[in-house]
Amino acid sequence: MTHRSVLRGLLFASPWIVGFAIFQLVPIIASAYFSLTNFNLFQDPQFVGLRNYQRLASDALFWKSLLNTLYLTVIGVPVSLTAALAASLALNMRVRGQSLFRLFVFLPTVVPVVAATYIWRWLLNAQYGYVNGALGAVGLGQPLWLDDPFWTKPALILMSLWVTGSAMVVFLAALQDVPETYYEAAVIDGAGPWAKFRHVTLPLISPVILFETIIAGIFTLQYFTQAFLLGQTRLNAASGGPENSLLVYGLYLFQQAFVNLNMGYASAMAWVLLFVALAGTFLLLRVSRDRVFYAGD
Amino acid sequence: MRTAKVARPWAVIAAVAVAVAACSNSSSPAASSAAGSAPVAASTQPSAAPAEKVTVNFPYLWSGPEGAALEKVIATFNSSQAAITVKGVSSPDFQKQLASMSGSNGFDISDNFGSTVGSWASKGILEPLDDYAKADGTDMSDFVPTALQSNQYQGKTYALPIAVHTLLLMYNKKMFSDAGISGPPTTMTDLQADIVKLTKVDASGNITQFGMRSPDYITLAYAFGGKWYDDKGAATPDDPGNLAALHFWVDNVVKKYGADAIKKFESGYGEYASAQNPFYTGKVAMTLDGEWQPVFIKQYAPSLDWGVVAIPYPAGQQTLAGATQLTSSMFFIPKNAPNKQAAWTFLKYLTGADAMKEFSRALGNLPARTSLLGDPVYSDLPQFNVWLDSLKSPNLRIFASLPSTAQYQKDLSDEFQLIANLTDTPEAGMAKVKANASGYSQ
Amino acid sequence: MQATEAAPAPARAPNGVFPATSRLSRGRVAGSAWRYVVLAVVSALYLFPFIVVLTTSLKPADEIFKLPPSLGSDRWTLDNYRAALDAMPFGRYLFNTALISSITVVGQLLSSSIVAFSLAKIRWRGRDALLLLIVATMMLPPQVTMIPVYIAWSKLGLTGTYLPLLIPQFFGLPFFIFMLRQFFRGIPEELIDAARVEGASDFRIYRSVVLPLSRPALVALSIFAFMWAWTDFLLPLIYINDPEQYTLSIGLYSFFSEHGVEWGALMAAATLMSLPLVLLFFVGQRQFVRGIALTGIK
Repeated sequence: MTHRSVLRGLLFASPWIVGFAIFQLVPIIASAYFSLTNFNLFQDPQFVGLRNYQRLASDALFWKSLLNTLYLTVIGVPVSLTAALAASLALNMRVRGQSLFRLFVFLPTVVPVVAATYIWRWLLNAQYGYVNGALGAVGLGQPLWLDDPFWTKPALILMSLWVTGSAMVVFLAALQDVPETYYEAAVIDGAGPWAKFRHVTLPLISPVILFETIIAGIFTLQYFTQAFLLGQTRLNAASGGPENSLLVYGLYLFQQAFVNLNMGYASAMAWVLLFVALAGTFLLLRVSRDRVFYAGD
Repeated sequence: MRTAKVARPWAVIAAVAVAVAACSNSSSPAASSAAGSAPVAASTQPSAAPAEKVTVNFPYLWSGPEGAALEKVIATFNSSQAAITVKGVSSPDFQKQLASMSGSNGFDISDNFGSTVGSWASKGILEPLDDYAKADGTDMSDFVPTALQSNQYQGKTYALPIAVHTLLLMYNKKMFSDAGISGPPTTMTDLQADIVKLTKVDASGNITQFGMRSPDYITLAYAFGGKWYDDKGAATPDDPGNLAALHFWVDNVVKKYGADAIKKFESGYGEYASAQNPFYTGKVAMTLDGEWQPVFIKQYAPSLDWGVVAIPYPAGQQTLAGATQLTSSMFFIPKNAPNKQAAWTFLKYLTGADAMKEFSRALGNLPARTSLLGDPVYSDLPQFNVWLDSLKSPNLRIFASLPSTAQYQKDLSDEFQLIANLTDTPEAGMAKVKANASGYSQ
Repeated sequence: MQATEAAPAPARAPNGVFPATSRLSRGRVAGSAWRYVVLAVVSALYLFPFIVVLTTSLKPADEIFKLPPSLGSDRWTLDNYRAALDAMPFGRYLFNTALISSITVVGQLLSSSIVAFSLAKIRWRGRDALLLLIVATMMLPPQVTMIPVYIAWSKLGLTGTYLPLLIPQFFGLPFFIFMLRQFFRGIPEELIDAARVEGASDFRIYRSVVLPLSRPALVALSIFAFMWAWTDFLLPLIYINDPEQYTLSIGLYSFFSEHGVEWGALMAAATLMSLPLVLLFFVGQRQFVRGIALTGIK
């Protein structure tokens, strides 16, 4: 390794490095600066020190949006990953036409988010929607879904279950990486299907589960599009859904920045999000240290 | 050795494609009008009419038949002179409008409600119009005074009104006679009784017919003598009249039929501007709605048997009769408009008597000029005169257009939801809004 | 644990689209019918929304609002599609979206692969630190940089064009860089060394050795980048204002803002929006799925 090799390495990596500097490093610093100002884009920024952060602390909507997002992350991520895992186990079964079934489960992920959201808006219509139609047909209660502040986030989670196809595929590939010999050894020891799953499958795919959890967690913290579209009203007056139950963090930030034109305040919100994301990832990595089994590392 | 798929040919294609993308955007109206009228756009002072043909970019919030009516007005303007071509586009999206004004390639002129002037003007988003008016001697005295006032901020005019609107109580005559009610309600007690008579609930508690569509609480508060701002411009959400209005709805309707049942019924409403509007299909018997309804009904529900009266007053308080909220629609020129002078010329035309008469008649809106209020052109609109008369009421109220208005209205609307869902009591809810209001920008 | 190296690697004979299950177990083909039932139920659940959209888009308004909701209808009609196409210049949006997506793919192919080459095939000090930095930035919420970047484009006078969407695509994306780096590492060092011995420059090696051998990963990247750009919503939302320039996502969103809950027409519009990608998927299923599997492990 010489200085020349460092130059070569940097040269080839330069597209990313330059991009990072322009589109991430400088904006991050600028964003930190803006978070200390009042700035509405039309007039010059006014320096206000830490006032934005103080206002955040007493802003009920800020806490609400944070709670909404944490709800989706803490409840939604495990639910959707469990569904993905269950689907991958089912689709790992050896049947004829296995490939076709896998196709069906994966297909929804190809539908553009905007279209998928409107489709679910229709499915979840309290009066004419098919979800309630099906629930009614089997005699279960029919929640008001998108009109009921209690049910809007479960509705979002339900929607996310439809597009677990990509996590499902990753889990499938991981399942196939588990050597058959382990299962055979377990059977010899007298293990049934559940024990096999718990003592062979789970530990061996745990790195992948962790990876998917982190990815899903990060994406959920940044959640925006579906919540924005589900709350969309005619003429697009900004809305966070019934009683702001759909006001996820990303949506409130968007409202502050692009509707109320409080760019400074929105920048402060962005920084808070960054800390939450880092803290969350760090926490997750620590908690999983003893539970994730890295074979052959 | 096989050469790589990627690299040279792709790099060339990429470069060409990017160039195409950047160039194709320069054919957009904003860019071309900026390029074609650079000498005009450079000056911020009003000057003489431009010598070359200027394109004025005009996105508007109206759509459907209303948009089509506006396009007719635009066409008349375009063919009446050769210096300016107005390009109109229907863009029914508050979000997009604001984004365009905060971006770099703005539009030249657009519309919105008078209540936004306070917050936008205080942020420096709107172009002040007084100098343009003075330069070509435009007379502003014919505009309905309250409408013009709401388009002004700190003594300067930032928009011109095209129409004013009031809300009145519309009712379905057939449903009334079927329920055995002889006439429309005059007091709130009557209204309460009528709502009960006209609401039908099935065996499982589901509403199948609703006496009245959830009202606009701001207007309802005016009917109860409430007010939302005091004389000094401080927010007064907890005014007793406001609370009385909220209690009227919460105690008599929501608690009676259940917040969930009402929400469920409301989620089945069809689109407002269509034949599936719940008032047209008989799902609701009464609604508080605006003067454009005669035109809408002619188009979507021509066989509907309906009537309209002033909003009821609380029993024993006849002095409050005829109260309603006046709102206005206006045209404005954003600060970042590329062609301000041409936009002003068009703005003046739009709010001139002829164009206003044509446009407001097509939309069935009340004109914003006092000279047009008695014009016979509106006489063939069924029951439109009831709205015209409402403008004469001494209890006509307007929601002040201050810098805090947008935020205040949003907080109120959020809180109204909580109150209608019985999550908050009217007192607690309005107290919350009042506490928030101390943080509003003045 | 050493036992992992001793076990035989499962064979991956491509069986249809998805990687096959382990060779050792293929002999025991399923006999019990309940597996089919489970799979049929799961598939039905995932396919149901598609059926709903399709049937709703073909029904007139009074059939849509029948209670209780049923899939069938007494009358079928294409009116909703006519209304949707009247309201949206579908062809225009399709073209715009395809343009943006294609340029995105080209940008990412060029930039991400070059950076991945540096991380995988050039030995230099600081390489691993850079990789760590790149991966760490994946965690950065886009909201942090969104506002200053928007302000910058606005000051440059470039909002309302496609440039804010396209230019960043020529600087690589951590996800793609990482994916390609993993793949490049799998290319045997002997080939690289042989080329170096012959005096080939870094760029020559990149172009003539690494890239041709990376076809599956490059195809996977192209598909992902294409799909991501095609369905992106936030960036076009804040940067594109002229309806002539709308993408499909914004087009559908604007259709809603104008027509609200006209369900029949909205479902027709949603179907039209989804068709191109769904068709593309059926044509290239194998690559899609292989690509995703590539990203998930290791």
